[in-house]
Amino acid sequence: MEIRRYILGRLFQITLIFFVILTVLFLLFRLAPGDPVSRMVDPNMTPEDAQRLIEQLGLDLPMWQQYLIYLKNFLKGRFGISFHYGQPVSEIILNRLPNTILLFTSSIVLAAFVGVFLGKIVSWKKGERIDTWVTIGALVCHTLFLPWLALIIIWVFAYWIGWFPLTGMISAEIWTDPSAGLLRKGLDIAHHMALPLTTLFLIHFGSYLLVMRSSMLDTLREDYILTARAKGLDEATIRNRHAAPNAALPVITSVGLSLAFSINGGALTETVFTWPGLGRELVFAVSNNDYPLAQASFLLIAAVVLTANLVVDLIYAYLDPRIRY
Amino acid sequence: MTVGNRTRAALLLLCAAVLACASAAWAKSRHPLRIGLGEEPRTLNVWMASDANSNNILSQIYQPLYRHTPEETEMVPWLAAGPPEMEADGVTYQVRLRPARWSDGSAFTAADVAFTCRLIKEFKIPRHYSRWKFVDRIEAVDDRTVRFVLKEPMAIFLTRSLTIPIVSEKEWREVADAAKKQKKPLATLFNHTVERPLGTGPFVLEKWHKGAFLHMKKNDWFFGQGLRIGGRLLGPFVGEILFKIYGTSDVAMLALKKGAIDMYWQGIQPGYIENLEQHPEIRIFSSERSALYYLGFNLRRPPFDDPALRRAAAVLVDKSFIIERVLQGYGSRMDSILPAGNEFWYNPNLTEYGEGLNREQRIRAVHRILKEAGYRWTRPPVDDAGKVQPAAGLRLPDGSLMEPLTILTPPADYDPHRAISGLLIQQWLRQAGIPASARPMSFGALLQQVKARHDFDAFILGYGRLSLDPDYLRIFFHSEFDRERGWNMSGYHNPEFDQIAEASEKTMDLEARRLLIYKMQEIIARDVPYLPIYLPREIEAVRTDRFAGWVQMLEGIGNIWSFCQLSPVN
Repeated sequence: MEIRRYILGRLFQITLIFFVILTVLFLLFRLAPGDPVSRMVDPNMTPEDAQRLIEQLGLDLPMWQQYLIYLKNFLKGRFGISFHYGQPVSEIILNRLPNTILLFTSSIVLAAFVGVFLGKIVSWKKGERIDTWVTIGALVCHTLFLPWLALIIIWVFAYWIGWFPLTGMISAEIWTDPSAGLLRKGLDIAHHMALPLTTLFLIHFGSYLLVMRSSMLDTLREDYILTARAKGLDEATIRNRHAAPNAALPVITSVGLSLAFSINGGALTETVFTWPGLGRELVFAVSNNDYPLAQASFLLIAAVVLTANLVVDLIYAYLDPRIRY
Repeated sequence: MTVGNRTRAALLLLCAAVLACASAAWAKSRHPLRIGLGEEPRTLNVWMASDANSNNILSQIYQPLYRHTPEETEMVPWLAAGPPEMEADGVTYQVRLRPARWSDGSAFTAADVAFTCRLIKEFKIPRHYSRWKFVDRIEAVDDRTVRFVLKEPMAIFLTRSLTIPIVSEKEWREVADAAKKQKKPLATLFNHTVERPLGTGPFVLEKWHKGAFLHMKKNDWFFGQGLRIGGRLLGPFVGEILFKIYGTSDVAMLALKKGAIDMYWQGIQPGYIENLEQHPEIRIFSSERSALYYLGFNLRRPPFDDPALRRAAAVLVDKSFIIERVLQGYGSRMDSILPAGNEFWYNPNLTEYGEGLNREQRIRAVHRILKEAGYRWTRPPVDDAGKVQPAAGLRLPDGSLMEPLTILTPPADYDPHRAISGLLIQQWLRQAGIPASARPMSFGALLQQVKARHDFDAFILGYGRLSLDPDYLRIFFHSEFDRERGWNMSGYHNPEFDQIAEASEKTMDLEARRLLIYKMQEIIARDVPYLPIYLPREIEAVRTDRFAGWVQMLEGIGNIWSFCQLSPVN
């Protein structure tokens, strides 16, 4: 009963916060300088043309009317039509989102697994050479400038050695070949994914490793670890069954939020690797005052992050018997 | 790993390798032309397309009645069969059409032309309507003859109106009729998704894989195939084009060097040239552009409402320095609003402010100009002994101290050339005591500040693709366009200029119109509402080992003539 009350309370909070975000987003974009028409630097675009476009986009209405229309449409599940693509926003997001999820979610999951695993190992060998080198490696990777690393990886593995395609998600040559089957197309995506996945993995795994290592070192000082040792359990069992599950809690929070934010993609990664994801679209929408697309993308991120927060809290309760709601 | 697992893994790797080799060999056998794009096209709806990449793709599909030859000397009939015939009343034109077909094999007729022009007028389609609003009637006389009746003679009719892309009535009739019934017809027309555009051009869209590539195939119905137009035998001689998207120029250059693309359809920065030149199979094209990059002043308020101060600023701006240091030599100085490459309309006898002067001489000249106009300094740029010194405390002719002023520029990530030019100009103005500061701001915000709010002192902007017809001179400086979102951003008002501009719009005699355009350039060079600074060159790179036949013209090699003439090397 208690957990149900807790979930209902949190859902009410989430709804309230979401409504605030909805309103703030609307205001932010309307108050930002510029409008979708002002960027069209073409002498053929007369002031009358510009005014006509503004009216057609509904931007000539008073702001409160625009807000009411925005709310009404949102409640009906309509996110509008992109000013720049002339396509429903939902279509654009649905087209881009799977690509972002595929790349970013897999990179975070992979980075988290490797980070947690290595963090667990090196914390057990604190002060030894392996701990020093792995920790330094993780720190270096974590602090690397992503576009620089991406370009170096492209230059070495795609241009110089030539093992992988330069950028993109698919090869035009393969996908326009009528004889190409599903396997070939699938392998082509995997081939294209290798370099961006490696880049994101290198950037992310360091932080998970460091959090896990530090959390493990704290856990090792706990009484129940001493008790486990006193019981005569072997080191691997103590590390894997007693210390690691407790030490992994902060990593779970971090991974949960990273997964939620991963739908936003990463504008830099997506730009350098020309990965057709949501991150690039989001940046384009904001810089071009494409309000419907920008608003819908941010709302999606807000919804997923809020939900992920709730899910992480519930997982906490499941994993840690001390936590009860 | 067991032996069985190892064998399976090895087999899988072998399969992958075979597949990769097979696909590479297959791609090679097809021999498609591969073009890199800097960004994905936004739309294939020709009425909505306003970005360069969409227009690049659409230019292969939708064709105009007339177009310029690569030499830019004349307009040649394209979908039209001959030059327009003007009737004795001076406002009626008749255009005969070539026999042509749409890419689905249906006949292209005069009804399509009339439909397109009426569509523009009925929907008042932005960017096109201003070129058609003076046309009173459009009639399809028969299947291959169209008659246009103008409200009054209009010089831009031939060069600007008859060069719009013609669409198929079959493709757009239902869409237009449905849009007319909607509350917002124009928005409905714009939001119509075009999956497979129907055109008369040399290529037809086969597939658009969003976010990855566009695949075009040769249009077997292309009217120009085997014809000689503008002195050139037209193909296309290429069966397929693949347009690939590259998020950054760095990676696009690697793709070019590696042979993943044959051409990158976007101007490249001069910084790449040296490296590209080391590859013998890569050729660099440096082409003239029809563009304008300028410093604009706000004439609506002090201090730039004074022409003497604007002329002083013009003398201080060292255009040659900007071209040498910022553009690395890939550009030329501009003294007219019109680029020098537009030879017929360009007036070569304009004042070249500061030309040939060194920095000290410029400061002395400015000291003289401003002193004569009544300006004073606490510390003048030239002391009593005639020595140049750092100036301070510039006072306007009314005795008030000149307030700090701002030069708005786009940010460096949008256009490094304009951002750096702003910083240089700031320093040069300060040498004469003009308290200027360059302020980069987002492009959208800059335009709103300058075009909509008119709240600025000076700005640096540019037009990337100006038409060859110089009617934009009227649009930029006629007082009628000094209003919110108008193109007279400086707020220039001159009844003499307005009168000449109005006459130039309606003068049909080319020589008479040229004299008027010359005069307009003189007035602008004298009053300096805009100070033209530089004209960058369009630098493009292609591989020469697979395709040959690029046609260089104003704005570069990415043009319909190239795509109609390119052919495989072997």
